[in-house]
Amino acid sequence: MAIRPILQYPHQGLKSNSAAVLPADPAVDDVVQDLLDTLAASPGVALAAPQIGHAVQIIVVDVSRKKGETGHGLVVLLNPVILALEGRKIVREGCLSAPDYTGNVLRHEEAIVEGLAQDGRIITINARGFEALAFQHEVDHLNGMLFLDRIQSLSTDLFRRKTRG
Amino acid sequence: MDRFAIVTAFGQDRPGIVALMADSLYRLGCNIEDSCMTRLRGEFTMMLMVRLPAGIDADTLGSRLTSKTAPLDLALLCRALPDQAATRHSAPDVPTFMLSVYGADHPGIVAQVASTVAQQGGNITDMNTRVIGSGEVPVYVMVLEIQLPQPQQAESLRQALDALKPLLGVDLTLRPLESVTF
Repeated sequence: MAIRPILQYPHQGLKSNSAAVLPADPAVDDVVQDLLDTLAASPGVALAAPQIGHAVQIIVVDVSRKKGETGHGLVVLLNPVILALEGRKIVREGCLSAPDYTGNVLRHEEAIVEGLAQDGRIITINARGFEALAFQHEVDHLNGMLFLDRIQSLSTDLFRRKTRG
Repeated sequence: MDRFAIVTAFGQDRPGIVALMADSLYRLGCNIEDSCMTRLRGEFTMMLMVRLPAGIDADTLGSRLTSKTAPLDLALLCRALPDQAATRHSAPDVPTFMLSVYGADHPGIVAQVASTVAQQGGNITDMNTRVIGSGEVPVYVMVLEIQLPQPQQAESLRQALDALKPLLGVDLTLRPLESVTF
């Protein structure tokens, strides 16, 4: 297939809910291949279908593209959902679809993600650390959420509007 | 050619400061670009980079803004900005660190820490300080965001900062800012 341009906000495709897919649908394979080709040509470690213009629930994550990370290697997930999150943490996050800006967002250290493989098998992944962040970020894309919707504090975290008890 | 100005203003915090400032700028034909506003105890402070409309310079903007925001009694300053200073650049991929420093409050903590960072080639890109704790035992807290052009500078900065601890009577930690782009 092909390397697709990664859409940038304000493209409204990034703010829409994506539709669930059927693994048997041949169009799914085309989108997956486009995602893989585009990911391979990008500086990132993960992509969601809406970022290349498809409003369907497909993500690809491969944190091993980042030096020092292994995770589960390349994961292609259809209709992924996050079943559980553990360990709140603030992370400075950015996105290829909203470049040149980063913000402090609340994420979780561990995530259990479930979805379908391309052959229809159910896959459950216990992700930790960087990989857990990647899954949380990509699943957000399927729900029309950007990290900008999750910014937790403007600058450093220590001083945010604490009221004296 | 777009022209830009920096507006700084501060005044006693109350509801409506941002609204009146923004409305005044809007009515004067200015566009607020990047800005930063916060409250320092009871004072609300603002720094705004604004794009100037044709036919209005920074000095004119300053006097018109002062009169339009007169009900707020703000201290207001407006200065023209060189074109190159207002150019938007892609965020460079420079390793960024957070530094927390805290200890019993006394003069000189900021000066010593900042000069150590500068000597080590670090660039302070953001900084907050607060005096916390009880009135009898005030504690000074500062949090800095520091960019180091070379990641290997971190160890030497860490050592230089550690040497400050006994001198200043502070605790401090330098840590990489986990920054991820997906």
